[in-house]
Amino acid sequence: MKKILLILSTISVCVFSVQAKLNVVATLPDFGAVAREIGGDKVTVSVLAKPTEDSHFVDARPSFVVQLRTADVLIDGGAELELGWLPPLLQNARNPKIEVGKPGRVQASQGIRLMGVPTTLTRAAGDVHALGNPHFMIDPIIAKTVAQHIAQAFAAVDPANAATYDANYKKFEQTINAKLQEWGATLLPFKGQPIAAYHESWVYLAHRFGFNIDIFLEPKPGIPPSPSHLAEVIEKMKAAHVKAILVEPYHNRKIAEKVAASTGAKVVDVAQFPGALPNTGTYIALIDTLVSRIAAAMK
Amino acid sequence: MRKFILVTLAIFPAAAVSAHETTPVSSSSPGPTVSNATTATAADVEALRQQVQSLTETVKTLQQQVKDQQAALEKANLTGESGLPPNPEPSPIAAAESSPAADASAPPRFPTEDTSVVASAAAPAASGTPGLGGFPTTDTSVITSEPETISSTGAGGSLTQPITIGGGKNYMNISLDGLFALAYSSARDLHNIEVGDHDPQQRGFNARNTELAFDGAVDPYFEGFANIVFKLDNDNETEVEVEEAFMQTTSLPFNLQLKGGQFFAAFGRLNPTHPHTWEFVDTPLVNGLFLGPDGLRGVGAQTSWTLPVPWYSQLIFASQNGRGTTGFSFRNPGDDGMFFDRITTDREARGLQDFVWIPRWENSVDLSPTQVVLAGVSGAFGSNETGANSRTQIYGADLLYKWKSATAEGGFPFLKWQTEVMYRRFQAGRGADDSFPVAETFHDWGLYSQVLWGFKKGWIAGIRGDYVDMQDSQFTDDLDRQSRWRLSANLTWYPTEFSKIRLQYNQDFLEQNFFLSSRQVESVFLQWEFILGAHGAHKF
Repeated sequence: MKKILLILSTISVCVFSVQAKLNVVATLPDFGAVAREIGGDKVTVSVLAKPTEDSHFVDARPSFVVQLRTADVLIDGGAELELGWLPPLLQNARNPKIEVGKPGRVQASQGIRLMGVPTTLTRAAGDVHALGNPHFMIDPIIAKTVAQHIAQAFAAVDPANAATYDANYKKFEQTINAKLQEWGATLLPFKGQPIAAYHESWVYLAHRFGFNIDIFLEPKPGIPPSPSHLAEVIEKMKAAHVKAILVEPYHNRKIAEKVAASTGAKVVDVAQFPGALPNTGTYIALIDTLVSRIAAAMK
Repeated sequence: MRKFILVTLAIFPAAAVSAHETTPVSSSSPGPTVSNATTATAADVEALRQQVQSLTETVKTLQQQVKDQQAALEKANLTGESGLPPNPEPSPIAAAESSPAADASAPPRFPTEDTSVVASAAAPAASGTPGLGGFPTTDTSVITSEPETISSTGAGGSLTQPITIGGGKNYMNISLDGLFALAYSSARDLHNIEVGDHDPQQRGFNARNTELAFDGAVDPYFEGFANIVFKLDNDNETEVEVEEAFMQTTSLPFNLQLKGGQFFAAFGRLNPTHPHTWEFVDTPLVNGLFLGPDGLRGVGAQTSWTLPVPWYSQLIFASQNGRGTTGFSFRNPGDDGMFFDRITTDREARGLQDFVWIPRWENSVDLSPTQVVLAGVSGAFGSNETGANSRTQIYGADLLYKWKSATAEGGFPFLKWQTEVMYRRFQAGRGADDSFPVAETFHDWGLYSQVLWGFKKGWIAGIRGDYVDMQDSQFTDDLDRQSRWRLSANLTWYPTEFSKIRLQYNQDFLEQNFFLSSRQVESVFLQWEFILGAHGAHKF
């Protein structure tokens, strides 16, 4: 009997502590970082995927079910990046508040025109995303729209704090607008220049700042580099005088180093997600770091 | 009348084209006018004439708009904006700076808006700014239900929109999985050595698991799943199995879920999974010999409840008929009406005691951000067919530990350890009409333990130990009642998550008992698999 009471009291404690703040779950750290900007101290944000791991392949661990079960808001990409692990989690979470179409569900790709939508679908082309390239959050202009959707969702679920979310969104928007001037100026000298990347996850950054990222160490998205492909890459990089290779934390850095050694390019450690690189806890800090690292390598 | 249809036809594509851009097409619905026109009075004809005239004018203005836009597009293309050709290499995207600056807010030098990527930027932003605190909270569902997937090229791309499988644009996910094995064994009776129905059963080639899988949302309340397996037997005859076909609820309150249909019992780790997801070519001995060659599955119903505690904890309770070989240790009449050498009774259910009752409780915690443990206990209780009131109880415990690197690429590297232990109490009766001389109770137990090491992207090495202890009977010489153990080692290569190639070596030891002599068997399997269609999600 005592045990039951104990369990009941822990349950009620859980329930109450949850209701105090808006309980937000983000599938990926970039959505989480933006959600923190918008929610401020009115929300608690938990993030499922780690910033350093390959976001295509995250284990659907049972503890995620627990987080999703009590979520008031879920932010996911909505562009199939989490296709391999989110559906079974949602099946087990059984939380009607975060179903698609409910105010508590933000699918970040809403209202975004995704790039690289395949005209024909074949897996012979590697790990192709049917809805288009899902690595869109790296574009600050897109991040603003996502932030706006998040603010709208927070306001809908928690109308009492709507003004705060609105104000935070406006602040975020203004910061991005100001920062864009700075980033644009820093990267202006390198406009139109070629950059190589390990995986095709930088089209949106390239589009924003006018780089030309079309040499990839992976022969096809998700397919490990083969020696023959790397030889080809080295030739291309030499011909185009590529100065930088973008490598993410989970990529095989040794391969990139080899290519760098034989082309004279520099390996630039970059990441899609806030928190993956030192001192990149916020979205703005991440883009700051990316911009300065790329600029340093391109000089 | 025909003209009218022609006009409407003409308007439609034009409207569709212009709808691509933000032009306010007040598509003054031609629908109702058509229905009115069927009863033609003089006044109606006059009204129609006027409408046709106004429509023609609309068409003209639309045509003009289209022309203007085409000109604008061409201009934009010339200046190098909106690049992105359909092929993967993104062209030299000259600059976001040149053309969008026109429509974006002019003051700052670097553009802070970009309509080529943000489809809905204009509308919500405008309505969002003035109200303090008053976000337009209404439109989220409308926006969500219409994902913008038009590529940034825009030009006529909509006609070639792909039909996505698994892309949320269809009502059902479909996939086909083919699993094959080339087998060698020192035993001529491989079908007696391998205990699973989808394991290799003969020397040479085996195709025992070609599987069609369907799933999708039935309606707002249910999801549906079906797995249809085509199995080629040793004579290359095709057998069809409805391995699973069930529906389950999606929106019950209190974290409850109900499930009904034909499904695998949630007993332990391996039983509820399909052979193509296994880490070894064959079924562990204890699963095959206690739960059955096809696993414990059947027609029934299940309810599950995730407990409202801070860690993952779930209670599952199912009831199934438990009849036939898929209810192996339960109401299974056996081959030729014999099970454990008894002539089986094979009767209809007399009451609730003849169903199989399957409870399970599983718990999981994260030991660290890279380590997870999942532990569960299961049971299966019911009658068997070897006597008038013979009962079977199976108890199981399972443990899974997984480590995965914090910088995992494609899910690698990882280390995974999985163990299942089972105990079976089987009351073997005196058979139909008390035909067998004695009743006896068997206490059998067994376990398997396996370690998988994903040492490099796409590569996994595994070892497994198997043991089953069958209590000796002094009266039967059933092959299934031989104690035995097995060691397996394998190496798997996943070129992508949609294909795999696996090489496995098995060493089997069958112990002697009153009737059967001991023997050792060596087997080698080369297994390969392909998956077509929907991207399957990976359960933990």
